[in-house]
Amino acid sequence: MYYLGLINEYLKNYMKSRMTYRADFWVEVISDLLFQATNLIFIFVVFMHTNSLGGWSQNEVVFVYGFFMVPFGLFSCFVNLWGFSERYIVKGEMDRIMTRPAHNLFQIFLENLDPPALVGSVIGVIIMAVSGSHLGLSMEWWTVPAMIILSLSAVAIYTGIYTTLTSLSFYSDAPTGILPLMYGVQGYGRYPVTIYNRAIQVLLTWILPFAFVGIYPASLFLERPEMRQMAWLTPVVGIVFLSIGLTAWNYGVKRYRGAGS
Amino acid sequence: MNSAYLDFVRIRFLTMLAYRVNYYLGIFIYILNIGVYYFTWKAISGSGGELGGFTSAQMTTYVAVTWMARAFYFNNLDREISSDIRDGSIAIQFIRPYSYILVKMMQGFGEGIFRFLLFMIPGMAIAILLFPVQLPTAWSAWLGFLTMLLFSFLINSQINVITGLMAFFVENNEGMMRMKRVVVDLCSGLIVPITLFPGWLAHVLEWLPFQAITYLPGAVFTGRITGSSVWQVLGIQVTWFLVLLLPMIVLNRLARQRLFVQGG
Amino acid sequence: MHAAIEVQDLRKTFKVQRNREGLKGAFQDLFKREYNEVAAVKDISFTIPEGEICGYIGENGAGKSTTIKMLTGILVPTSGTLKVGGYVPFLEREKFVKNIGVVFGQRSQLWWDIGVIESFQLLRKVYQVPEQDFKRRLDELTERLQLQDLLSRPVRKLSLGQRMRCELVAALLHNPSIVFLDEPTIGLDIVVKSEIRDFLKSMNQEYGTTILLTTHDLQDIEALCSRVIMLDDGRVIYDGGLDDLKTRWGTGREVHFQFGKATRKDKLEAWTLDLPVKWSAENDMAAKVWIPLDTNVSDVLSRVVGQADITDIKIIETNTDDIVRSIYQSGSAVRSETEWKEGITS
Repeated sequence: MYYLGLINEYLKNYMKSRMTYRADFWVEVISDLLFQATNLIFIFVVFMHTNSLGGWSQNEVVFVYGFFMVPFGLFSCFVNLWGFSERYIVKGEMDRIMTRPAHNLFQIFLENLDPPALVGSVIGVIIMAVSGSHLGLSMEWWTVPAMIILSLSAVAIYTGIYTTLTSLSFYSDAPTGILPLMYGVQGYGRYPVTIYNRAIQVLLTWILPFAFVGIYPASLFLERPEMRQMAWLTPVVGIVFLSIGLTAWNYGVKRYRGAGS
Repeated sequence: MNSAYLDFVRIRFLTMLAYRVNYYLGIFIYILNIGVYYFTWKAISGSGGELGGFTSAQMTTYVAVTWMARAFYFNNLDREISSDIRDGSIAIQFIRPYSYILVKMMQGFGEGIFRFLLFMIPGMAIAILLFPVQLPTAWSAWLGFLTMLLFSFLINSQINVITGLMAFFVENNEGMMRMKRVVVDLCSGLIVPITLFPGWLAHVLEWLPFQAITYLPGAVFTGRITGSSVWQVLGIQVTWFLVLLLPMIVLNRLARQRLFVQGG
Repeated sequence: MHAAIEVQDLRKTFKVQRNREGLKGAFQDLFKREYNEVAAVKDISFTIPEGEICGYIGENGAGKSTTIKMLTGILVPTSGTLKVGGYVPFLEREKFVKNIGVVFGQRSQLWWDIGVIESFQLLRKVYQVPEQDFKRRLDELTERLQLQDLLSRPVRKLSLGQRMRCELVAALLHNPSIVFLDEPTIGLDIVVKSEIRDFLKSMNQEYGTTILLTTHDLQDIEALCSRVIMLDDGRVIYDGGLDDLKTRWGTGREVHFQFGKATRKDKLEAWTLDLPVKWSAENDMAAKVWIPLDTNVSDVLSRVVGQADITDIKIIETNTDDIVRSIYQSGSAVRSETEWKEGITS
């Protein structure tokens, strides 16, 4: 309850400070959308040269992409760790965080809320609706609840992975260059992973489980039987990776408090 | 040349060496990128088919060499410049007895040398082991490619500097920088070779500077462009290099004016 | 009286990466790193009772910030025990910090783009301060520090002095019983400095707030602190009252005379021949005499006043600045202390 109240307060403050820079808000929304548009362009270019990608049609791949955008928007809004090491470690704001009575990671999430990213989630829902109707998918009673559960699980996976990576900042080097590269890698989880070789499949399933933020859960709604089991695994993977992330983070903070300067 | 500038090259090189985690993860992710695109194009073309005029061997080579070229020419000069501008430290930079832009380019070059020696070459070696990459046999292809690589770096850095300097004129250029990053990756032919785009789009891209960063050197390396055509594409790169100097100079001058007349 | 802060044999060592020199070294560092151990705080002990204002001083790198960071729960000590406000800071951080206030003079607590009052509201939620308490407290603090007109302005539009006053409010809104101030007056002008000092003093007197402050400005210490802890190279080299410091470390006093009629230096010396004083004179109309601590100033004055035509007298005590400078120059307080004693007996 305490933490929910804080989210509300921080959001209000975000809105207040953003009203002064209204133009920025829209620039950010538009640039996010352009980013998504380039990914769609890639999909369209690919399907100009083939009818199926690993047995998946264009509409199916676009639907997966729509699903992918939903948790990604949520994650980008609530868990924004860009520039963590620069702002909190190099400039020393971590010390301020540590003198406040709330969990330190949560405070950092709150201070970096990025609501424009939510527009991406909305677009994602629209894309799913459009491509879903092309495919003739029907809404079942379980569609919406499953969508919510799987999206939240995917957010947990993102959070786990990026928190783990960001906690590396507590060690001597700053992995600042890594997060943008990871943004490229996470996109690979939205294509049929079966086109890749075994090593990459294993990687995207179990090590950097980005297949669980795209193709696996989305396959449930596309009623593709071959990945159904993986789709059901999504919440489990979410919990596991979130736990890994939080453990790594807490360990990093411990180290920071033991060895920070 | 003033030897202070060379020092900026050296210091950046040493700084890059200090980031170990970045280094190891970086190599790993670049190889992964090559792998993903290799398998994607393979899935599209089926077995042995041609794709946008690329044979399957050429496509593999293209993917490997363009990603590795990116490992070399990539830098964050735009972010560095815009953060200098936003926290005001640019004022100090501008009163120092050197050209700020040139210093940034030199730092970028220091990073480039590091990336070339420790990212691109080892990365390429690993890629050759893992994927059926065909290295060019003609020495002219090597020579042409390496020369063009230098211009890839220059043009990409110029675009970064221009994007960074925009922070003087817009409140927050974060969105602009993100957009630039995406546009460069897509329009330079890194993610999709230019010839695979629909005809009209490919024509538009031929008139933009981005293809000079990745597609042209990649095409030379894979042997899609040979002989005297190499001179021609090198000419395109040089032209873009010269053309892009103009906005850099203008922006630099405007920035100075803004800083000294209006006090930032 | 309870102890607000108890520190026993507190030690903090850091592992510092050793950068090998040159290109070859940098390459080696890429694959294998070497580390050095550096002790920033070396087994220090002190106790600060509730309601005391204590100055924590030392040169840059003496270990002040490291100590403050351990006391506020940011860093975990390597060894030793500490208790602040009844808590072990690093064990129950979130509970513990509700009871303390921290101001880092160099860093802002406030949100840059929004009105000051919004930041305060947010901190109210973070610290879970009840609405009425918050209101009362805020009214009081804004009145004391005269912030009424600033509350709706965004932080980026405030001057440094205004901002620092707001920072103090931010750190005190939840009525902490212990307050840590790291360089609270750095970069401020004299007027704001003295306002802040007055404010801290009154806070301390009314609420019995314990204050530990680090500063490079010894005027802060003189104005506020009854007690001083001095740190050098990670060790406490002095811990005691400010007056004590002055009497023990002050080497003496100086009296300046202005004469109505020319008075030669050798005459002045002749009058005080049996006293251990030292005269110096620029001309016949003015002279200075240096009097060691164990000699009464009045003894010297009585010799001179009767015989010379004096137009003005000024007595100058050694100031804290000089004392501290001389302690640091001598390196260790312990050694200087024996020197000082030898100085008297010999």
